[in-house]
Amino acid sequence: MSSLIGFLSLALAIGINFYLLISRYVFKFQKQRFKFFVRVSSLLTLLSFFSLMYAYVTSDFSNYNVFQNSHSNKPLIYKISGTWGNHEGSMLLWLCILSIFSFFFSFTKNIEENFQKLTLIIQAFLHTLFSLFIVFTSNPFLVNSILVDEGLGLNPILQDPGLAVHPPILYAGYVGYSIVFSIAIAGLFQNTDNEWLYVAKKWSLISWTFLTGGIALGSYWAYYELGWGGWWFWDPVENISLMPWIAGLALVHSLMMVRGEQAIKKWIVFLSILCFSLSVFGTFLVRSGILTSVHSFAADASRGIFILLIFFIITGFGFLVFLLKEPKKSNTLNLLFINKVSALVINNILMIIATLTILLGTIYPIIIEVLYNKRISVGGPYFNSTVIPIMIPGFLLMSIAPILSWQTNKIKNSKKYVLGFIILSILVFIQSYLLDFNTWGFVGLLLGFWIVLASIIAIFSYYKVKLNLKYFKIINPHIAHIGVGIAIIGITCSSVFQNELDFNLNEGDKFKVNGKMVLFEEVETTNQINFQALRGKFLFDIEKNKSKKIEAGKNYYPVSKMITSEAGILHQWNKDIYFILGDQKNNEWFVKVLINPFVSFIWLGVIIMVYSGLIAVTRR
Amino acid sequence: MKLSHFFRILRTIILFFICFTFKTYAVENIDERVKNLTLELRCMTCQNQSIYDSDAEFSNDIKKIVKLKFQEGKSEHDIKKFLVERYGEYILFRPLMNYNNIFLWVFPFILLIIGLFFIIIKTKGKKA
Repeated sequence: MSSLIGFLSLALAIGINFYLLISRYVFKFQKQRFKFFVRVSSLLTLLSFFSLMYAYVTSDFSNYNVFQNSHSNKPLIYKISGTWGNHEGSMLLWLCILSIFSFFFSFTKNIEENFQKLTLIIQAFLHTLFSLFIVFTSNPFLVNSILVDEGLGLNPILQDPGLAVHPPILYAGYVGYSIVFSIAIAGLFQNTDNEWLYVAKKWSLISWTFLTGGIALGSYWAYYELGWGGWWFWDPVENISLMPWIAGLALVHSLMMVRGEQAIKKWIVFLSILCFSLSVFGTFLVRSGILTSVHSFAADASRGIFILLIFFIITGFGFLVFLLKEPKKSNTLNLLFINKVSALVINNILMIIATLTILLGTIYPIIIEVLYNKRISVGGPYFNSTVIPIMIPGFLLMSIAPILSWQTNKIKNSKKYVLGFIILSILVFIQSYLLDFNTWGFVGLLLGFWIVLASIIAIFSYYKVKLNLKYFKIINPHIAHIGVGIAIIGITCSSVFQNELDFNLNEGDKFKVNGKMVLFEEVETTNQINFQALRGKFLFDIEKNKSKKIEAGKNYYPVSKMITSEAGILHQWNKDIYFILGDQKNNEWFVKVLINPFVSFIWLGVIIMVYSGLIAVTRR
Repeated sequence: MKLSHFFRILRTIILFFICFTFKTYAVENIDERVKNLTLELRCMTCQNQSIYDSDAEFSNDIKKIVKLKFQEGKSEHDIKKFLVERYGEYILFRPLMNYNNIFLWVFPFILLIIGLFFIIIKTKGKKA
């Protein structure tokens, strides 16, 4: 029943959107009516999504999709998240978020009516494309042809709270760029004043913030669920999310130039189209299954062609309009070595190079396979030795960029900065000389600390401290950059200075980690609702009274016959101690302990970036 | 003080430190060499995991082989060559710099040079 409601409302939503699309030529609405229909179609799409969710929650196995991807003994949260834990459902989620964005956009005030209408028409066009894709190739509402009373179960690796919320937030980022895309195209058609740039800025910040949160959640999940001890693997699917993120960052920065009346409309429109194209292209690569990755559970080759088609339609349409309706030549840029304008231009160039490099590295194995029928890998080492060096000048620049002036290349208090930089370099140098010296570690630490230090100098020497919202809005760019600096420190420490210890242990053995005694108590097997858990129990720091319990082990999911590893992590502010329980051999357990210094700084940095993304949305 | 001065000082400092770093960057023991190499090799039976990080049987075998070869005094290059002959280029996370991959390696730096020229040309003759 719920499937039927879901399908009907989806079909109705397609009808309305198609109608909106041609309404310009066939039936002309009054403007209020037009918005009304946009909202109705959004609500219908939402209804369709929730009826699928309802089918999942009630374990309605007459729905083929539910039968394939759910099981009645799962906890409720995974029944809900199971809705998007599969291809069909996740595409419906994608569509749903698209229409939520249209819904909210239809309420935007202080924007020209015709402009808003045109944007919504382009949104309707995207909605129609994707909903046709869902109906024809990945319908989640198909009826199960046989009567069953149990489903096949959800991929256990997805049964995790982090991964339950990761897809919606990530999608909100990806799909949010659809609005930016529509605004940019509408801007090309109407070529009015610069007012639309402010609207585009707001929405691109919203999408970027969501995307940041989504990527961070994903890598946090990878950190504790995959049990490999790292949090970023340059996995193709990670790269795919990183491309629109960097391009989006370039977009946000180039939209900043509006404030100095230096905006390059052409470039902004180009970036807007690029961001959404990359999002759709990412969807194509993930869904088509031509990539080897931890995400390949969601793959099916036949659908790839359809998404590829959509990708070509959207990108082709976008760039065609871009070429035909080129924006009027904007004012010439006031580029000096080095003022705010040139800093922003350099930032954009570097980010685009990084994006294109990641794109090339991600699709290069596919190209080689097609051309030479040979399989190669392009992995972490490639990206580390191309993308990171390219970004380093950008990192240096970002420490001082927010206080540069639009007009001149003078900088106030420059002596403070030079002095600060010299002292800092000496300190970091001594620090890294005393510990293991590592070039990357040195560069990373220096950059990270320098960004934080320079931003703090700038905040205190430029603005009077006040505790109101306006003050926080003004210093917001610095705060965002401090977030990046902190994240760089965390990234450097946790990857360069990671320490690994291997043990072969009997139950009851004691061993030393980082100067603290650890007791390996016992290994225990328990039965949970839908899995069996094998847990090695450790007591950390037994010499003190407040010793901490850590459990590391594996889960076995009988429904899908899969084993997942569950790392035991002891979080401290300056390091994570990461326990992995290996296999048992000759009555001894293999235990791997990783000491990851300053991992928490990465998440702290991300939280700061998300915070300043939110603050920036409220600033004009 | 102008910013260009600031950048000049900064460049000197960085160069100075880079010179120092080379001095301390020489000795490595075998375990570290094994680690550095196996980090760049793909575990063929896993999902996008490096041999160093993986505990699969395949990875453990390769780790042993690599260690043995280092002890025999083989260079990193020889070991890579050996592994590529056996398993194909797919095992290398860092693509070889050969005819097929030249575009992959050169492309980012070509873009960087183009970008650099763009900036230089646009800012030329506009010194304040």
